[in-house]
Amino acid sequence: MKIVIAGAGAVGTHLANLLSKEKHDIILIDQDAAKLEEPGSRFDLLTINISATSIHGLKEAGVGSADLVIAVTPDESRNIAICMLSHSLGAKKTVARINNSEYLDPKYRRYFQEMGIDSLIYPERLAAQEIADSMKMSWVRQSWEFHDGALELIGVKVRANAQILNRKLKELGEESLPFHVVAIKRKRNTIIPRGNDMLLEGDLVYFMTTKKHLPVIRTLCGKDKYEEVKNITIIGGGKAAVQASMLIPDYMNIKIIEQDEERAKQLTSMVHDRVMVIHGDGRDMRLLVDEDIKNTQAFVALTGSAETNILACLAAKRMGVRKTVAMVENLDYVSMAESLDIGTIINKKTIAAGHIYQMMLDADVSNLKCLTVSSADVVEFIVGEKSRAAGKEIRELDLPAGATIGGLVRNGEGILASGSTRLESDDSAVVFCIDTEVKRLEKYFK
Amino acid sequence: MNFKLILRVLGLLAFVEAFFLLCCTAMAFCYAEDDTMAFVVSLGIAIGTGLLFTLAGKGAEKNMSRKDGYIVVSVSWILFAIIGMFPYLLSHYTSGVTDAFFESMSGFTSTGSSIMDNIDSCPHALLFWRSLTQWVGGLGIILFTIALIPSIGMGDVSLFAAQSMGPLPGKLQPRIANTAQWIFTVYLVLTIGCAVSLYFCGMNVFDAVNHAFTSIGTGGFSTHQDSIQFFNSARIEYVLIAFMFFAGVNYNLIYFFALRGKFKRLFKDTEFKWYAILFIISTAICALSLHFDNGLDWEPSLRFSAFQTISLSTSTGYCSHDYMLWAPKLQPILLLLMVIGGCAGSSAGGFKVVRIAMLCKMTRNETKKMLHPNAVIPLRINGQVVATPAKMILITFTFLYLLTFFVGWLALMFFGIEFSEAATCSLSALSNIGPGIGAYGPAFSWSIMSPGAKWVCAALMFIGRLEIMCVFVLFTRSFWKRH
Repeated sequence: MKIVIAGAGAVGTHLANLLSKEKHDIILIDQDAAKLEEPGSRFDLLTINISATSIHGLKEAGVGSADLVIAVTPDESRNIAICMLSHSLGAKKTVARINNSEYLDPKYRRYFQEMGIDSLIYPERLAAQEIADSMKMSWVRQSWEFHDGALELIGVKVRANAQILNRKLKELGEESLPFHVVAIKRKRNTIIPRGNDMLLEGDLVYFMTTKKHLPVIRTLCGKDKYEEVKNITIIGGGKAAVQASMLIPDYMNIKIIEQDEERAKQLTSMVHDRVMVIHGDGRDMRLLVDEDIKNTQAFVALTGSAETNILACLAAKRMGVRKTVAMVENLDYVSMAESLDIGTIINKKTIAAGHIYQMMLDADVSNLKCLTVSSADVVEFIVGEKSRAAGKEIRELDLPAGATIGGLVRNGEGILASGSTRLESDDSAVVFCIDTEVKRLEKYFK
Repeated sequence: MNFKLILRVLGLLAFVEAFFLLCCTAMAFCYAEDDTMAFVVSLGIAIGTGLLFTLAGKGAEKNMSRKDGYIVVSVSWILFAIIGMFPYLLSHYTSGVTDAFFESMSGFTSTGSSIMDNIDSCPHALLFWRSLTQWVGGLGIILFTIALIPSIGMGDVSLFAAQSMGPLPGKLQPRIANTAQWIFTVYLVLTIGCAVSLYFCGMNVFDAVNHAFTSIGTGGFSTHQDSIQFFNSARIEYVLIAFMFFAGVNYNLIYFFALRGKFKRLFKDTEFKWYAILFIISTAICALSLHFDNGLDWEPSLRFSAFQTISLSTSTGYCSHDYMLWAPKLQPILLLLMVIGGCAGSSAGGFKVVRIAMLCKMTRNETKKMLHPNAVIPLRINGQVVATPAKMILITFTFLYLLTFFVGWLALMFFGIEFSEAATCSLSALSNIGPGIGAYGPAFSWSIMSPGAKWVCAALMFIGRLEIMCVFVLFTRSFWKRH
């Protein structure tokens, strides 16, 4: 696929890096030569130092023959202009990054389609959605949906009170429990488990399941006593905080602590009445105590600084908050933050990239890595009619050691995979793999 | 530094060389001459090295830093030269390690200086190996490998960045593997075109292929001691003039010109214009002198001068007419051509035309600035403004080039070579040309050099082929420091 990315900012560079590793032809354009230097010398892609809103520039980048144009400059209106121009020049699909939730309203989708913009992404909104989801299911560390919720992937930290510890997965499988363990993160390693592996205390376990079975897993993991989130404290009143406050269900109480007085005043007009805006420093312990942190079930740190967010979350944890969420923009800090036992890490870049991945998957049935969980890759394959997998049971397939099928989606319905599940053509199989080339897996399904 | 990965990539490169040796071994069997054993053993050495390095590099982490890239690129040429010397050494057509290594290095750097005085009696496979090394070296070992094995998957980006392709960035395709394949395609098409043309001009198949390899690789090895003079054919010379000319043009331009139909781009290109004008002017001057001073007819004098100027400026080093017999006043012109070299991004060596063009324009700008101190005068190449970092690198490069040249000159004089001959030998080796002047002129081989001088020249060829910086960076303290 030929993909043109306009704007070598954080999201653009991250996407360019990810996509170039998938052997796509990536052309990254930016007006600022300095921004192109680093990606140009480190990743396998072509950089062009030219304005992405000039028609000449877009022609130079070859958008006419591009399969996808992704406009992720900081300026929303520029992004829209780039997409419109690219569309007229012949780009097959366009994506624009926006900063305005109004545009996301489904009733305006047609307008944008007519303008030649196929999709809009709003990273802050996506991040907010993830925060809201994690508030609703606070006992879950991370969760993803496949095929509009047909399958659900959740990551849960199992503590000593879980019922499924220290037993071989094989034995658990015999009880026909409604889940499939697809990956285990134990200390720093990620394992794709086999029948003889066991779940141990402190593991972060990734379950593939369906929505209706979530309560069963909750019980099995010993999370029934986990307090439901009622009160939330958010520090940092940026765009993500505003969006999150709108998406979090009404029955939860929200306090946003913002350091800048001007911004705090501004916030009051942007959020619902049920949200209390407090002017102050979120790292100030006395302030937190005054604002009744002891009675808060969730602490969300969304300031612009990853360091502040991580430290504030640690402080909140020490004060007894069970659920902490930190926004960490520096990718290198993500694994560190994870090891510090911060509940959920939000990274706008990966969320935005994941969203675009998913979109590419919808656009093109050919297989694509859609996300990275812990260090495992999650790939969706459509089982081909004449493929090796069609009509076989999973255990007969003899997949490579680092790969496992998490679940299937057949006619829009999620099916959990076990050894005896039979694959049929046109099934969509969600495969987890570590250190396995996607190419090697492809031959099973094509 | 990721030494395991470095070893693994070097192992892979050794296998690539083994593949080339295999071709020659097959050839040696076909011709059934006395070099068969030499090739079989060399092939064994190459495969052994490949296996050894691959085993040593087993389980390497697949991320290659910038430093690793520089090491791999530099060491790969030395590795190739070392493995590549065994056919010469074991077949006893050269005497001793020094000569064999010199010949091998001269081949892979596409220099074309030879220490062989017995070329006409050499077996076919050995001559073919000599030419093949220049063909591989002309395009560059790394580029060749990336083009042949696109899924090398190990630090292509660092390797490509470390392998200098001239002062300005030029990438044809978003992906390196595709870029390398296109450049390789251009190279291959030129080579095939050259071989076919030479065949129809009366060479036999063996000579035609060998000369196509060495002219497109701008190396200059010939299968005959007398180089192109042996054929004594005007048609062959004209064909070679044309193909040497194209071999010295930036392959990116040829790609756009021939494969994308962007004809204007070629004639608008600053470097190409300078290259063509330089060729025309120097040919005219030499032709005039040959006609009036040496009393040659117009046609031969034009042909000889065109052949010799393009041969020297593309750093090929073929000889159709001994330029030592030309008027001495022409020698500075020839020396200048040797310094300037061909276009960046081609197989030609030397300082590269685009750098000269940049320096000239910088000089013009700076003098203008003396009159208008506040003027903002950009340095433009092809309408694009050249950024300050690129200018700084250019100045550093110029200094290092001169420095290396002088050190080489000095070292050669220490090993007993006469003043002006030492200067041209140093220049010839550094610019990867081949012949020098005087006793090292086109009519003679370099076998009379003392062993020390041969090693100096081999080192100069190596440094020159890698465009200096890549080698020098290995000798800086900060490169090896852990922090």
